[in-house]
Amino acid sequence: MKRKHIPYILALATGLQLAAGCSDKFLEVKPKGTDLETNYYKNATEAFNGLVAVYDVIGWQSNGYVTKVGAMDAGSDDHLAGGGGQSDVTAFQVFSNYTLTPDVGPQGDLWAKGYSGIFRANVLLQKLPAVPMDENQKKRFVAEAKFLRAFFYFDLVRLFKNIPLTTTTISTTDMYNVLQAKPEDVYAQIETDLKDAIAETNLPDQVPVATEGGRATKGAVHALLGKVYLNEKKYAAAAAELALVNGATPGQANAQYGYKLLANFADLWKSDNASKFNSESILEVAFTSTSAGTWDCVSCTEGNVLNIMTGPRGYKILKPTAPDFVSGWSFLVVTPSLFNAIHFDPRYNATVLNLDSLEANGIASYEKGYKNTGYFLAKFAGRASNTTTGGGTKELNYPQNLYEIRLADTYLMEAEALVKNGESGAPGTRSYQLLNAVRARVGLSPVMATDDNIFDERRLELAGEGHRWFDLVRTGRAATVLAAKGFVAGKNEILPIPLLELENTKLEQSKEWGGTK
Amino acid sequence: MKLTTFLLLAACLQISAKGVSQQISISEKKVPIRKILREVSRQAGVSVIYDETLLAGARPVTIDVKNASVKQVLDLCLSNLPLSYTIDGTRIIVQSLPEERKAADTTITITGRITDDAGDVLPGATVRIKGGVAGTVTDGAGKYSIKVPGNGTELVFSAVGYATVSRVVNDRTLNIKLQITQTALTETVVVGYGVQKKSVVTGAISSVKASDLESQPVTRLEQALQGRTSGVTIASSSGQPGSGSSVRVRGITTFNNNDPLWVIDGVVVDNGGIGYLNQYDIESIEVLKDAASQAIYGARAAAGVILVTTKKGKAGKLTVSYNGYYGTSAPARKLKLLDATQYATLRNEASVAGGGGIVYADPASFGKGTDWQSQIFNNNAMRQNHEVSVSGGNDKSTFYSSFGYLKQDGIVATDISKYQRVNLRLNSTHKLSQWATFGENVGYAYDKALGVGNTNSEFGGPLSSAINLDPITPVIVTDPAVAATAPYTNVGIRKDANGHPYGISNAVGQEIANPLAYISTRLGNYGWSHNIVGNAYLEIAPVKGLKLRSTIGSKIAFWGGETYTPISYLNSSSISSRTSFNRSTNQGYNWNLENIVSYTRAIRKHNVTLLLGQGAYMDNRTKAINVTFNDVPADNFDDASLNFKVASDKRVADGSEGADHRISSLFGRINYNYDEKYLVEGIIRRDGSSRFGANNKYGVFPSFSLGWVASREKFFPQTNAISFLKVRGGYGVVGNDNIGDFAYLSTIGSGRNYAFGNSGSYQIGYSPNAPSNPDLKWESTSQTNIGFEATVYRDFNVSFDWYKKATKDILQNPRIPAYVGAISNPAANIADMENTGVELELGYHKTIGEVSLSVNGNVSYVKNKVTNLGRGISYLSGGQNFQSTSYPITRTALNQPLNSFYGFKTNGIFQTQADVDNYVSKDGKKIQPGAVPGDFRWVDKDGDGQITELDRDFIGNPTPNVNYGFTINAGYKGFDVVLFVQGASGNKIFQGLRRLDILNANWQTKALGRWTGAGSTNDYPRLTTDDKNRNFTNPSDFYLENGSYCRIKSLQLGYTISSNLTKKVGVEKFRVYILSENLLTLTKYTGYDPEIGGGVFSIDRGIYPQARSFMFGVNASF
Repeated sequence: MKRKHIPYILALATGLQLAAGCSDKFLEVKPKGTDLETNYYKNATEAFNGLVAVYDVIGWQSNGYVTKVGAMDAGSDDHLAGGGGQSDVTAFQVFSNYTLTPDVGPQGDLWAKGYSGIFRANVLLQKLPAVPMDENQKKRFVAEAKFLRAFFYFDLVRLFKNIPLTTTTISTTDMYNVLQAKPEDVYAQIETDLKDAIAETNLPDQVPVATEGGRATKGAVHALLGKVYLNEKKYAAAAAELALVNGATPGQANAQYGYKLLANFADLWKSDNASKFNSESILEVAFTSTSAGTWDCVSCTEGNVLNIMTGPRGYKILKPTAPDFVSGWSFLVVTPSLFNAIHFDPRYNATVLNLDSLEANGIASYEKGYKNTGYFLAKFAGRASNTTTGGGTKELNYPQNLYEIRLADTYLMEAEALVKNGESGAPGTRSYQLLNAVRARVGLSPVMATDDNIFDERRLELAGEGHRWFDLVRTGRAATVLAAKGFVAGKNEILPIPLLELENTKLEQSKEWGGTK
Repeated sequence: MKLTTFLLLAACLQISAKGVSQQISISEKKVPIRKILREVSRQAGVSVIYDETLLAGARPVTIDVKNASVKQVLDLCLSNLPLSYTIDGTRIIVQSLPEERKAADTTITITGRITDDAGDVLPGATVRIKGGVAGTVTDGAGKYSIKVPGNGTELVFSAVGYATVSRVVNDRTLNIKLQITQTALTETVVVGYGVQKKSVVTGAISSVKASDLESQPVTRLEQALQGRTSGVTIASSSGQPGSGSSVRVRGITTFNNNDPLWVIDGVVVDNGGIGYLNQYDIESIEVLKDAASQAIYGARAAAGVILVTTKKGKAGKLTVSYNGYYGTSAPARKLKLLDATQYATLRNEASVAGGGGIVYADPASFGKGTDWQSQIFNNNAMRQNHEVSVSGGNDKSTFYSSFGYLKQDGIVATDISKYQRVNLRLNSTHKLSQWATFGENVGYAYDKALGVGNTNSEFGGPLSSAINLDPITPVIVTDPAVAATAPYTNVGIRKDANGHPYGISNAVGQEIANPLAYISTRLGNYGWSHNIVGNAYLEIAPVKGLKLRSTIGSKIAFWGGETYTPISYLNSSSISSRTSFNRSTNQGYNWNLENIVSYTRAIRKHNVTLLLGQGAYMDNRTKAINVTFNDVPADNFDDASLNFKVASDKRVADGSEGADHRISSLFGRINYNYDEKYLVEGIIRRDGSSRFGANNKYGVFPSFSLGWVASREKFFPQTNAISFLKVRGGYGVVGNDNIGDFAYLSTIGSGRNYAFGNSGSYQIGYSPNAPSNPDLKWESTSQTNIGFEATVYRDFNVSFDWYKKATKDILQNPRIPAYVGAISNPAANIADMENTGVELELGYHKTIGEVSLSVNGNVSYVKNKVTNLGRGISYLSGGQNFQSTSYPITRTALNQPLNSFYGFKTNGIFQTQADVDNYVSKDGKKIQPGAVPGDFRWVDKDGDGQITELDRDFIGNPTPNVNYGFTINAGYKGFDVVLFVQGASGNKIFQGLRRLDILNANWQTKALGRWTGAGSTNDYPRLTTDDKNRNFTNPSDFYLENGSYCRIKSLQLGYTISSNLTKKVGVEKFRVYILSENLLTLTKYTGYDPEIGGGVFSIDRGIYPQARSFMFGVNASF
């Protein structure tokens, strides 16, 4: 071997050594722009970010445009799915005409919504004890997470009845062994979580609207607990809980929680920022026009898709007096039944957009979508004044918030609980005051607080807000009222467990849907 | 008589050119002259060509020289023997002393020149008298001279690597042209980190050579393998120009990414990244199919390894070549869809059956209506490809450089379906000194693609729209009265050049819109990429047999696109209410570094090669930026610009980075053979991957294989029946880490945002993506391969392989139950799968007179079975989604092929109410009480007396299990014909062309044969708008069709103008040809094209069909 080769061989050999020697380090790649779960939740900011993620689920909108309010409206007698055709947002269509099956319907999204929220709440509740941060702030986060978990479980148990119940994250080893819990156990957990939140002194009675509007308050927890009790038919407890929210004198401000009915019903549907988190709002679903959502990921936008969905198709303003709606997709059209019920009510104009009338008078024109009735849901239909001028797709960036619970609702719930608990509803009773406070706000004269009157009031006051279907089922009226739509008693009171959730799991389909649970 | 060529190739490494000036040292005592020649050959790196019979009687030689020249050595050895030699470049030809030294005789002398088909001279070719022992070899100028008994004698001309030719003598001069043949004995194949003689290879390797590629217009490299290599299944993902194909080596290996590892001149390139290669630059493509050959690529080899070698320059004269073609393409087939009258008739029927009224009072009044397919298909789509290469070099340096240009228009929506590519290549080697060589191979390509957007998607796109849109809707609205009413009054209505609005259907909506209107919204949008892939190496050979080589390779890619979105109103569901302009740019960077040491030694008949190597690899270092400007004041792509400085809140920007994927490896290989008769190979590779946690960071992948060349045994009968026989077998394990980054960890994801407060801003929320799995480990694939290769009756080559491939611990992100609540699914090692298959390759080469004929065929069969899904799970949740049903149409289940079609089985149609009533369960209850005559009778698989999701069953396999192809080459004088046929069978195709959820979508003419009354049909159910029985919306065997096909992939007729003529104008070779691609496809499938690739094969959502092309081309060299 020639000597001059030696350096090369040495160099190569050294190269081999070096490469082998440092390979462990070479193979360590640090994730960029993301963090590992094990490294996260290390301070108050990260804990707060985790809390935001739980709230995020309240505003769940799927890529297929399925939302809780949209689905529940479609299933009710007040709306038809509408849209562009019989398969436009199939989940709404099949719920609206009661042809839903375990594989097709809104259940998959509503199920995923609930459990996503529960998972994020459970993660946070498991992580919080070890987070170095202000203890009082931490206690507030715990209370909020429990409140949100209860909120998600409440929707799930109402919709599906037979659901898995877990208050910890499910490990990969256990995830196929999960069983469905008894509904009463789920309710018990909901009550526990809500009572824990109420007991937490760090959970505020009110929050500063400008910065914290939308975060849980003690008032919201009482309201939700009252609503839960009402569903459980624990009327006395429900009334007691809701009374805390509604205050001593119906119609007067509740100083502790800051609640008061808005003077003008129509102001509830103003969707500008200043109108958000008003004094009537107890639990509000927040949206914004600034997230620049695009068609690429409908579920990623922070804008409210109901606005574009409920707008009339091909809406054209012909006279300046026409309302400034934008052209939408004509979903959730109002049924003649609701129209007839509300036509002469003071809340009509804020609730229903009568395009047939506008067209007949040459004020505006529109295209007739699927199952067109001529009546649209004015509460949510997108407004030109509210269309984003910022980035993203206009259709997906409407900022209108939705009310999950508002004061008129808790008034009527308390009234209902009182009446169901034996109160007469005659003038002078609290239920009478509650009902007629809601009526008085829109200038209606008082009526007796009978169960039926309260129920009818709920329909008109809360039309389109996603409560009607739940109310019909809760009060046993669904089979009668929804029969015309195809509702089958003993079956359609709940949604089927989504087909894919039965695959390889120990879950069983509910008996109502031909299953064994 | 045995003619032997020693091509000195240190079996595994590319040799450096050395040549006759090499200094040689030999010290031998009384050894056969053959051995000395062999030693000279080895040390000097030159070929020594001789006739063994000449040496047979020679005395043993004793020699002792140091640093002598080749000439000195040869002079010493041959001085006392009746032999002379000539030196021709790097070849030494040993022959007998000139004839005149022997006794004269009376026979006649024939002289001539032997050349190859390119006209180059062939030194060392043998000329023999048929049946006799006399013979000679050609000299350095390819000339020979031989005495024969007289006219009528038959001479046999042969040369190693060329087809033997025999001629009867009737003239004193006989010039012969020999055609190159590759025989099992001489062919070399590229293996991992080197080259091996095919006759001693013990693994299962299929190769495609440059000559195979020249006969087919290949836009992307994968297509070159289709039908030419056994054990490889290839299906195009789309007929859109520039689209890739799905490549599966020996079936589906894993549930994950089944793309093979592509290694271009030693640089690992991802599956999508091979589009930069130009077909004419390829020297050879080798597919490593079994673990024994793959194991040297260890951790990433499980799905097969494909080695691509580009052309290198040769020392000698400068060669300039041009290859090109020009032609047109057209769709091979259109669907038979209903015309307007038929459509209206069937709509009426369906509406009435569904309880509605007549929709169209007078169907006949619509006439034929619109043929949407003819609106989007182009029967004259242009296609061309041109390539010029220059190669050459001298003793010190050689080079190959080329320039290529390809342009192809799509046959669907040509305005938005185009592809162009420009290639450059420079390969060169430089001899720095006697013992050091430096070289590099660099390829660059720019491409620009206009795409139709959604392809093979039921959700829109021009094809899906053309299929589903009703024929009543006009292409354009010419009546001003209609154009002045809704919906044509909407903002954003698309209009043609004459200002007529494009028709909008009032029967079919959602994503299905007028395809011409859709096309008008996408004009100009394009994607582009620049790819630079190259490597550089330094190789030193300090002592005999030892080679050290360092290679650094890199891929640098830039890609992006520009999209302008106009204000548009295509129908009431497809509205874009503002303009936007998006520009995205991406960059990617991969590198690898490899150091290899190899040592080759022959001791008597023992030949050993050892190879040790080390490698470090990094890929996926990507960065992306994209920006969208909303409300750009432009109404078309050309005018759109980011120079329009829209308000800052209308500018949406995004970006991302990929995570490095790194692998660190050590590997070794030993090859041993005794007399090229007993063959042994062992490989071990250890890989560490950044994709696994500390528990399982490293994987070790061993393999060994054995071979026995039986035909070299003394006892082997020396007959023509079997002149070569090799039996080989091997076993090995390879791995796969293709599961994405940080899968073993639980990461925190962002984007879970919520808007607290009323300022309009929102908070960014974070939560875990998926539960962690710290025990995540390598997926491993073990494979046993047994095969043989034989040459039968001299002209037939046979190669056969049987294999069993088992993949264990398949890395998966199984769908986890939604009640877990995680946003994504955690990775786990969950499943096992098995492939068993056989492969057969046959070749036949024969020259009969002036007709040369060559036939190459291959057929392979593979059976795929899932053998374990873990945890007592019998099937995976989920599957391929289809339209708006959440019934997946495929299911991966135990003992079934992966992704088998899964759905309801039909059992005819209820002809009468009595049929419905008689369809009862064991307890006498009606199984389908709601059905009416004309509805499908569903099979009640579980026998529970009702039709539920539990009645679904496995109804077909989407992946073909038989693939075959054959090529016939025939030549006569200047003419040549190439026929290439390729096919696949054994699969079903899910024909999901019609939207199940759009009841008013158009039908194929098959619907004319729908059920109309008792006895009308048992196959196609009644039409109704109220399909309670879910005749159409249940995924069922109704949608499955036989996916077998056989296709004349190319048929070519060429003519080579005699070189005698062309040489006068300085042209070596000039060949013209006409070529048809996809001339004919035989299939029972009724959709556009049975070749449907993708993650899961054979789901037809409206695939962009393969074009049928006719082209004229030229191959020329100067």
